[in-house]
Formats: sequence, structure tokens, C-alpha cells
Amino acid sequence: MRNKTLLNLLAAAAAFAAAAQDDFSVQALQGDYDRIIPSICQVLFTQEVTDPRTGETVRRNGNCLGLIVRADGLVMAQGHLSVENATPVDLRVRVGRGGAEKEYPAVALHKPGDINVMFVQAQSDTPLNLPHVTFTPQPLRLGEPVAILGLTGETLDFEPGVFTDRIAAIITQPRTTYCLANNLRFGCITGPVVNARGALVGVAGIDLSRAEGGELYTRSGHPLVYQAELFQKYIDKPPEREDAHKAEDNAWLGVFTQPLKDDYAEYWGIEKTGGLIVSTVVPDSPAAKAGVQAGDVIKSFDGKPQTFTQDRDVLAFTKLVRDTGTGKTVSMGLLRDGKPLTVQITLATLPRSAQEADEFEDTVLGLSVREITRDVRIALNIAEDVRGVIVRKVKSGGVAQIGKMRPGVIILALGDYPVASIADFQQAMKKLREAKPAELAVFARVGPQTGFFRLKPKW
Amino acid sequence: MHLTDGVSLRRFWAASAVCASLLLTAGCATMGGGQDGPVIRAKDRVAPALVHIRPVKEVFSGGKKTEMLAVGSGFIISADGYVVTNEHVAGESSSVQCVLSDHREVAAKVVGVDPDTDIAVLKLDTTDKLPWVKMGRSADLQAGQTVLALGSPHGLARSVSKGIVSVTNRYLGGDGLMESPYNDWIQTDAAINPGNSGGPLVNIKGEVVGVNARILNGAENVGFAIPVDTVRGVVEAIIRDGRVHRSWIGVTFQEMLAKTDDPSQHGVVISDVERLSPAAEAGVKPGDVLVAINGREMNARFEEDLPAVRKAVADLPVGSTAVFAVHRGEEKVDIPVKTEEKTAQKGSQAEFGEWGFTATEVTPEIARRAQLPERTGILVSGASPGGIAARAGLQEGDIVLMVDGQKATDLDAFKALYKERKESQKKLIMLFVQRGALTRFVLINATAEAPQPEEENAGHAE
Repeated sequence: MRNKTLLNLLAAAAAFAAAAQDDFSVQALQGDYDRIIPSICQVLFTQEVTDPRTGETVRRNGNCLGLIVRADGLVMAQGHLSVENATPVDLRVRVGRGGAEKEYPAVALHKPGDINVMFVQAQSDTPLNLPHVTFTPQPLRLGEPVAILGLTGETLDFEPGVFTDRIAAIITQPRTTYCLANNLRFGCITGPVVNARGALVGVAGIDLSRAEGGELYTRSGHPLVYQAELFQKYIDKPPEREDAHKAEDNAWLGVFTQPLKDDYAEYWGIEKTGGLIVSTVVPDSPAAKAGVQAGDVIKSFDGKPQTFTQDRDVLAFTKLVRDTGTGKTVSMGLLRDGKPLTVQITLATLPRSAQEADEFEDTVLGLSVREITRDVRIALNIAEDVRGVIVRKVKSGGVAQIGKMRPGVIILALGDYPVASIADFQQAMKKLREAKPAELAVFARVGPQTGFFRLKPKW
Repeated sequence: MHLTDGVSLRRFWAASAVCASLLLTAGCATMGGGQDGPVIRAKDRVAPALVHIRPVKEVFSGGKKTEMLAVGSGFIISADGYVVTNEHVAGESSSVQCVLSDHREVAAKVVGVDPDTDIAVLKLDTTDKLPWVKMGRSADLQAGQTVLALGSPHGLARSVSKGIVSVTNRYLGGDGLMESPYNDWIQTDAAINPGNSGGPLVNIKGEVVGVNARILNGAENVGFAIPVDTVRGVVEAIIRDGRVHRSWIGVTFQEMLAKTDDPSQHGVVISDVERLSPAAEAGVKPGDVLVAINGREMNARFEEDLPAVRKAVADLPVGSTAVFAVHRGEEKVDIPVKTEEKTAQKGSQAEFGEWGFTATEVTPEIARRAQLPERTGILVSGASPGGIAARAGLQEGDIVLMVDGQKATDLDAFKALYKERKESQKKLIMLFVQRGALTRFVLINATAEAPQPEEENAGHAE
């Protein structure tokens, strides 16, 4: 429905835009350009991208626009720098132009959950005093012209430019969102947005954060303006460094949920006031220990009423849980068979994800193995009682590949040594290296089936 | 000008080539058959019993049941009109029409099918005495020996092709879902194409030695036939009981080579033991090496030795206790295991038209793949786009476990629950489904109107 509204408004705005073209004078644009361009820099990075199915990781180089938002080198850049399966490594910030470029090493700060931008901190031995922008939050009006400053050129050479656009639609749910009329150049993502009165009101972006149902917008491919109110708090108080932000910070309840839509409420004969239906309880999770059952409806969490009715809300609930705090005991209000019930739950730490998993590469067998993390167990539907390590890579032409092993195989035992963890695997390999058997029977699971692989290691 | 000449020239040559070959054939015939004589005689022994089969198959796709005309081959094995073909030709069909070698069209009824070996038996609806084939012995086959494939490649009835046996015992392990666990295959280079399925592979004596059933996609002259020694027992069982009864203990076997290259070590590796299976309850463990069943030695050094071992287990009387002698490390253990009847490998399907989806029975294999704790529920094989089920969020691959809090234990149970709700015109029905590792609630709104196409274009902003 929202998309349809968006399209209709777009049509209206396009007609309007054709009628009135020039609200920015050339002088005004030149003024904005001169004032803001020194604060635009280039963020260079190497990105590590993991294929979620095979676990294969490739590295690729890239660069994007950065906007210096604090004199000490805090830079705002696009959120796609760090997504689910891609993390930036070896970040650098290149400031200045025309032969006066200066490059600083930089670190990624923890990505905000509520807006699809990243913050990067330039590093220097001496305190930095870089040119930077200051935002002036002002609401935008439908049809209002805006200027976007960014980098031009296919190769994203540091050639700044100024582009004009209009606000084509204003969406009020899930929060006020200003949609732009035209396609956004790659070099303009996170580019500063100025209104006709010369106020720096926000930055350009291409989708909402995931917690806001961002994927829906990505499908529409529509550019927007992130208004300054959304991110000013991160400029005032920058997020922690990414590497300082450990999984321990994320709390875990251990349920999968669906929103309580009105027809579901009608079916169960309960009030149509929203909530979250527990669809799956993860075994051994805090929720399981507290006796939460599939079919329970969560009406409140830690004193906060839960009134969700939309699919995307489920992500907001996940975020609420994560931010509540590990080890904290909260009360959760449930409806079970229509009757209210309160359970006390001590939140645990979010189990490690596949990206944080322990890994070990064995050069004799020519493979790397990884612990089976909770997310992988769910994604691949691996039963709870399966204890082993998962093959992540096999070396081309190596012992494992010759023995027909491939990524995704779960190793359960090496010879007579059961393998339930990376430590077991290492221990077993240590003993095998001493014994040097000519053949090694690896007991493993492939899909639903167990079986043996015979390897001939070259010790 | 030149072009025209060229074309006529090529035509001329093509025509003379045909003339030449006709002359040659005629000449040979007068000389008593010559080199081709045995081939022609072999063909003549089988061709009268060859059957062109046109089944109307029930196909479940896109959440709907549709009917589709297929084509295959078969052969008559008795004067009273029993016909052997492939399960994949005649199975799941609503009617089967046969065309005999004298062009007569005769309807047939499916006597029974065996998906495990891909064999089906039909009975022709006629009282006439019919020509039938002689079955040979596939055990006597040798690689290199001449064979003929008869049938209807691409629907072209009465076709014969010639080749040799390439390999007598090719092992074809299915990708997880074992396609043919109880037999190795005869590999031949005699041309086999779609439509040849179910047709006979014949030796030079005019005896049927195999049933053509598979080709290797993308390869040339790589066809596979089910050995007639496998076919014989299956056909007898189908004619006698309507199906093949097999024993099951819940183990998967692997060749010894998977564990060791040492030829002095005999036996078969037990690679997997299903939970709650007779073998698991008797204490059989993965890694055990089976050396004998009821004193009969078992040995499978290579994968092509595996079908015989599986068949030895399947042939045990259902419900009997057999002693499995296994090596476990240095120990030798005798384990008595009580067999159970093996359930069908292929589940039946059904269409639930009002809700717009199709579902199949959860077979033990599907239950295992889905990591279900027990065999229960129905597997959604398709949800028709825009249908009630699809709009409620039901997806292909979902396993429906419950309907309004009641267990849907199998397809029949679900059909009954569905029928009750349809008859009572219940508006909202809650399904509890498994999707991958997770479970979900799916609310069916049986009264929901299908969306009108106009609505999409109405363009009213809200």
C-alpha cells in the first residue's frame, strides 16, 4: 500500500517539478558549493564479503563519499559499507584536493541500528582540525527544491559537483521520510542536502535501515533524504568502535515472532491491540527456560507494551531485546490460550554469529573448519543433537578435496576421535599427526545423512 | 543459378544414397540375412510384443493438479496381456492407452507400481491372445555384447536401435534421494531417448535382458536399463500382491572403500542409523561393519556391491528377527534386529483446490530431511499464486503440522480436517507449519475474495 501511495505522489511531484525548475540561483549554488565541498572527503576501504551459503570470503576494494561532521575526523559514510555479510577492513580517509590530499587511517564505528549510515573515525597522532559541516534541521515541504553535493564521475574520482532535485513524496510511516524525485548518483550517497534557504538539512541516502523495514524500500530503489534529526545524536556522541563492540553487548531472548495481525487476534478471540506471536522457541534459550511456548502472544516486554501488527515490526522487537542488556531479568506479559500470564526471564548473551565463529585451517588435510554457531544451525536446519564442526573451505587439489569432501560437510569424528568443537578437531589432529595413519576415515554428516570419507593425508 | 544447381546436386546425391541402401538391404535379404540376420531375427522375436504407451499423468505443479499426456514404451510378457513398463511412465496416471504392434488401441489398467525399481505392471483390457516376449538372464550379460533397444523415442513408435552393453553393473546413487537402491544398471550405447522409457533391451537371441529407463543428460550414447533379473521378481510380486513388500531396519550402507583401501577387510560399512528405527533400537551404530545377516556373508568393497546388500535386507521376511553380525572396532557382535515393513519411497499427492495448494505425504525421507522428530504432517508441494493459501503466506516446502490445534498426522488426516472445514464453511483456519528449522502460524481466511485486478490500478492514495 505504501508503495502505491509513493508512486502516485511521485507522479504528482514530477508534474510539479516540470512547472517550476529554478528555485536555486547560480550564485546560491556556488555559495553552497564553496561552503560545503571542503568537508567532503573520500573513504577508501577493503571490504570482506562472505558468501552466507559457502562461507567463502572474498576481499574487494572500494571507495565512497565521506562527509566530515566533526573537526576531530568523524566522517559519515553510506551504510552499505557494513552489512550482514560484508565488513570493511583497512579503512582510510582522504581529505583535501588539488594536490593537497592527505590520507588518514580510519576505524569503523558501530553501525547505528536506526539509520542506514556508517560513522568512520579518522586516526592521527596529533589532534585533527578538519573542515566539517554543521547541520541546521529544518522540515522539508513536498515539491521543495534541494541541492545535493557529491562526487561525480563513474570512477568516483574526487571531482565534486552540485546537483538539484526535489522532494517528491513525504511518507509519514514508520517515520517521516523525504523521498527524492530523481535517481541518486552513487557518488552522492551520504552527500549533504541543502534547501533553497541555504540550510544544510540532511544527507542523501537510498534506503531505510533494516530495523525500519529497509529492504522494502531497497526494492523500490528510491532515493531519500536522511534529515539531520535522525543522526545528529551520533555526531554529538559518536558510537563505539566496531571492534570494541562485542556480541556480549547484545541480549538474547531466543524466540522467533510474528506480528499479531487483526485476523489472527480475531481467530484467537483476543483484543485486536497488536502484539507478537511466538512462532518458534529456540531450544536452551532464556525463553525456553522460562517456559515460553509457540503460540504465546507477547503483549509487553520489560514494562513496554508491544502493539505490533506489521511484519517489519518484528525487527524492532529484536532490536529492543538486544538493547535491553545481557543478564537483566525482565518481566514479559503473555497471553496463553487467551489468558494473561507474566513470566520472568533472565536475558542471555546473543550467541555468536557465523562471522564471529571460531575457525581453524588444517594444512595437512587442506581444509578449514568452523564451529556450528546458532545462526548456522537454524539456517541449515541442523538438529540440536548434531555436534561437530562445519567445513568452510577445501583447498583445491588438497587431501580433503581428493577425498570428495566439500564445504558444508559437518565433521563428526576424525578416525576414532569424536569432534564436537574446534578444540576437539585440533586435539584430534595433534594426535593423528603423531600417529601418522596412512588412511583416515572421517565420519561426517552431509545434509540429513551421515557417512564416511576416506582421506589419505600426506603427513 | 549456381545455388539452384548446388541444391539439386545435393538432392540427387541424397536420393541415390537411399537407393543404394535399399538395394543393399534387398540384396542381403536374398542372401539369407548375412551379417544383419541375427539382429533382424532378434528384433522380430520382440517387436510383435512391443507396446506404445500413452498415459494421462496427474501432474502437481504451481499449487494445482493438471493432467498431461505422456508417452513411453512397454512390452507384453504374457498371452493374457500383462505389460511391463517404467513406474515413471505409468505411475500417477488417471488412464493409460496402449497401441500394440498391429496398431490396435487397447486401454490398460495399472496393476501396480514399484518406485524403488522404477517398474510398473499394466493389464491390457482385451481377451485376445497376445504375442509376448521371452525374458533372458541379465546375470549372463557381458560388456561388449550386442543389444537392441526397442520403443518409442520421442513418441516415434516401433523404433529399434542397436548397440553394445557398455558396462553390466553401473551403480547410480541418487543425490540423497536414492533413485534405485536395489539394483545396478546395464549401461548401453544403443540409442535411448525420452519415450524409450519402459521399452525392452534385447540380446541377440531376442530375449529381454533389461528395461530401458535412464539416459545421462548432455551425454551421448549413455543409456541405462534395469536388469531383467531385478525386473522378474518385482513383476511377480506386483502381479501377486499389487506391490512389493520389503523389509526395513533403518540403516544406510557404504562401501568398505569409504573407510579403508585394505582388500583383506570384508563387510559393509553402516554409515547411518535412523533414530527410532529397528536397527537403532537393537543397538546398531554408525561405523559398525556388517559382515553377515543370518550367517550369510555380506561384502561390499565397491559401491556397485551395495544394491545386493540392500536387497538382502529388503528380502528378509517383514516382522522377522534377523541376526546382524557386525565388527565394532576389534569386537564382533551379533545383533538381533526385528524388521519392519518399508514404507513407500514416493508419497501420494493431493490438491486442495479451494485453498489453492497441493501437498504430498511426508515420507520417512522427507521427515528426515526436514529434521521432524516424528513422521507427521503434509508437505506443501505448491501454492497457486493469488490463491487463499498463498495469500495467507503458505509456501512450497512448508510442512503443515497442525490445523486449528489438531495434528495433521498424514495426508488422509489432513484431507478429513480440510473437508470438515469446507463443509462447515469455517471462515478462519489456523495452520501451524514448519519452515526450515522454524515454525510459524499461517491463518487461512477461507472467505477472502481474490484481489480484483482493477484494484491494483485504481491509484487512490491513502
